[in-house]
Amino acid sequence: MNPAASPPPTTAAAPPGRVLRRLFLTLFLRGRSARGLQKEGAPKSVGQKLALTLVFYALFGLFALGFRHQPVLALSVYLHLMTFLFLGMFVAASAGEVLFNKEEGDILLHRPVTPRALLWAKIGVLVQVSLWLAGAFNLGGLWAGIGASDGGWWFPVAHAISTTLEALFCTGCVVLVYQLCLRWFGRERLDGLMTTAQVIVTVAVVAGSQLLSQVMTGQLGEVLKLSAHSWWIGLLPPAWFAGFDDAFAGSGTGSSWLLASLALVATAAVLWLAFGKLARNYATGLQTLSEALPARPRPAGRRWVDVLVKAPPLRWWLRDPVARAAFLLSVAYLVRDRDVKLRVYPGVAPMLVFPVMFLVMSRTGGHGSASSFQVAVASAYLGLIPLLGLNLLQYSQQWQAADLFRSAPIPGPAPLCHGARRAVLCVLTLPMLVLYGLLAWVLTNDRSQLVLVLPGIISLPVYAMIPSLGGRAVPLSMPTEEAKSAKRGLTMVGVLFIAMVLSGLASWAWAGGWFWWFIAAETVLVAAAYVALHVALATARWAPME
Amino acid sequence: MEFMRQGRHMITVQQLTKRFGAQTAVDALSFEVPAGQIVGFLGPNGAGKSTTLKMLTGMLEPSAGTATVCGFDLRRDILEVKRHVGFVPESGAVFESLTGLEYLEMVAALYALPEEAARARIRQFIAFFDLSFETLTDKLLGAYSKGMRRKVVITAALLHNPPVVFFDEPLDGLDANAAVGFKALIQTLAQEGKTIVYSSHILDVVERVCDRVIIIDKGRMLVDGAPEKLVAEHNSGTLERLFTELTGGTELERRAQDFARTFRS
Repeated sequence: MNPAASPPPTTAAAPPGRVLRRLFLTLFLRGRSARGLQKEGAPKSVGQKLALTLVFYALFGLFALGFRHQPVLALSVYLHLMTFLFLGMFVAASAGEVLFNKEEGDILLHRPVTPRALLWAKIGVLVQVSLWLAGAFNLGGLWAGIGASDGGWWFPVAHAISTTLEALFCTGCVVLVYQLCLRWFGRERLDGLMTTAQVIVTVAVVAGSQLLSQVMTGQLGEVLKLSAHSWWIGLLPPAWFAGFDDAFAGSGTGSSWLLASLALVATAAVLWLAFGKLARNYATGLQTLSEALPARPRPAGRRWVDVLVKAPPLRWWLRDPVARAAFLLSVAYLVRDRDVKLRVYPGVAPMLVFPVMFLVMSRTGGHGSASSFQVAVASAYLGLIPLLGLNLLQYSQQWQAADLFRSAPIPGPAPLCHGARRAVLCVLTLPMLVLYGLLAWVLTNDRSQLVLVLPGIISLPVYAMIPSLGGRAVPLSMPTEEAKSAKRGLTMVGVLFIAMVLSGLASWAWAGGWFWWFIAAETVLVAAAYVALHVALATARWAPME
Repeated sequence: MEFMRQGRHMITVQQLTKRFGAQTAVDALSFEVPAGQIVGFLGPNGAGKSTTLKMLTGMLEPSAGTATVCGFDLRRDILEVKRHVGFVPESGAVFESLTGLEYLEMVAALYALPEEAARARIRQFIAFFDLSFETLTDKLLGAYSKGMRRKVVITAALLHNPPVVFFDEPLDGLDANAAVGFKALIQTLAQEGKTIVYSSHILDVVERVCDRVIIIDKGRMLVDGAPEKLVAEHNSGTLERLFTELTGGTELERRAQDFARTFRS
């Protein structure tokens, strides 16, 4: 008998489920888009990266120690709310890539594994990593629960169970939404829908965590007015899991038991729907994902961005064809590309949240110089929007396509940087400034102070030029793996420091009655700095590829 | 073009070298290519083909040596070099979040082609490659098949009508009909005077299409000449046999046979 004709022996092989889990965990930790990176550019140690993340989560979780003398319900609501936000953000950001990877059908669907095994392995990995993160974050909370006013030694056990349930619930919800979207809207709209949903969830989580931490730290001094008896608390999923803790290791009231029951029923229902009932469609979903789609009939008329660039003032501003091409490319990616959107929008969201928080503080924090400084500081953050946006726009999963710029007859990266900068100013900065203006108008007590925003806005063009220095801000030209750069953080801190100094000077000038002289001097300085930066950028040449 | 009419070489490479740290990827390579010639540029993986092409397209700076393309020096007139070359990279990378038309219009803008002229050229290529205009305007490149994407990349390389074109594995992903059409296209382009450097692993295509073959290994030139002449000189029978003999493939063949035998034993 020819041994090559018979199937290979299977006795020593690991079960397919375990092999798949190990595969997806490895892919998840290393990232799937690392191909094309040079070896030295790849992450040095996955374990080290993960350990650092867990340490960060654990340190952040120590804030829970501030709740150690509060009732179990208040502590648990805080812990579960933050866990829910973190896990929601993590699962929403990862699920698309993990569950519905376009290239995966070709690699795995012809192997001897069932779609159900694939789905379970992926869910297993998502839950596993979620639990690591949740465990790290809740470590401090476990100790706080032992010392809570109605807590005790049962709290760690109850909280470990409720956190596991919450992780399963979060993962189940996201998987369910993906499956339903695929079923109802088809593959063509799935990407767009899920990207929008992911961006909204992530921005909401980033903004929410900033605001929530303010609210929470503002109330730490007193007992939170939370009660399991309030009807509205039943509408908040994190409260169900907090009810579980309170029922088993806290007050043990009837309302807490009701919330705990809700947690169990909701988790079971979501798991059954996501992993049981809809899992049958998973194989079809994966297959349709890699199919070529028929072209959709295009609605009459041109794209809005084409109309915009062909009409004044953009037509004049983008008269250089290369800058216009870079502008259109950048806008397309800011509007369409999931990877870019998930990096840019959540990245710049805090730059709007912080100014709004400062405005709220200026409203409640009294009048005079303190209040005017807060308004001025708010505008300092706005100046960081183009800086951050341009920095983040440099990275793309399709960075190799940017080789095209180097082979094109362009003397240096300047026109490409200009195009990207103008796109970020038009698509990102301008709408955020308008939104901020509206919020400021509503939130400010003394509207005459709103002119203090001017110094920040005047300096915006200079801040927007900084990332382009040396021709670095070529859009979509760097691998996403390089996005986490400490150097970029240093630039941000430096610019923020300058912006803060500027805000201090503006508020001093306002108080001293020489504000408009200050504005005139700033305008002259900014114009000079802008011209100098422009000249420096024009002489920038391509950095070596190697 | 004046330069072509003078009958001078379109590509002149002298002692071209590229080092990455201690490693030499291209080692003192020298050759010349006249107008209208199709040159097959061959070598095993890691031989230095892509590095050479990247240097000749102005993407990588040589560590030593000189090269001119269309009479323009690679170091002094890099912009003019880029204006006169087209390049189809092996990766076939495109910006997947653009539609095919948006991508091609962006490329046209990089070469300062007037919009109307660019559109007219794009339509010619669409007709040639049998692409539908609706697909090009409505679908993002990320949703294209590999072959369609390759057609867009080839179109992007030829859009500005360059006199010198570098192809790095251009047939990758193309179906049989498209490949036949493409081969006819490059032969026609060469007849019209364009110089073509064609790097590929599909040796029978190279043998049929190219007037001349350069084989390199470990950054050094092994042979340079007309395929029939080289095959005859080395008494190899086919270009594939010659290639394997020169680049150590014969040893691989023997190892493959030994390995296959282990299944039978």
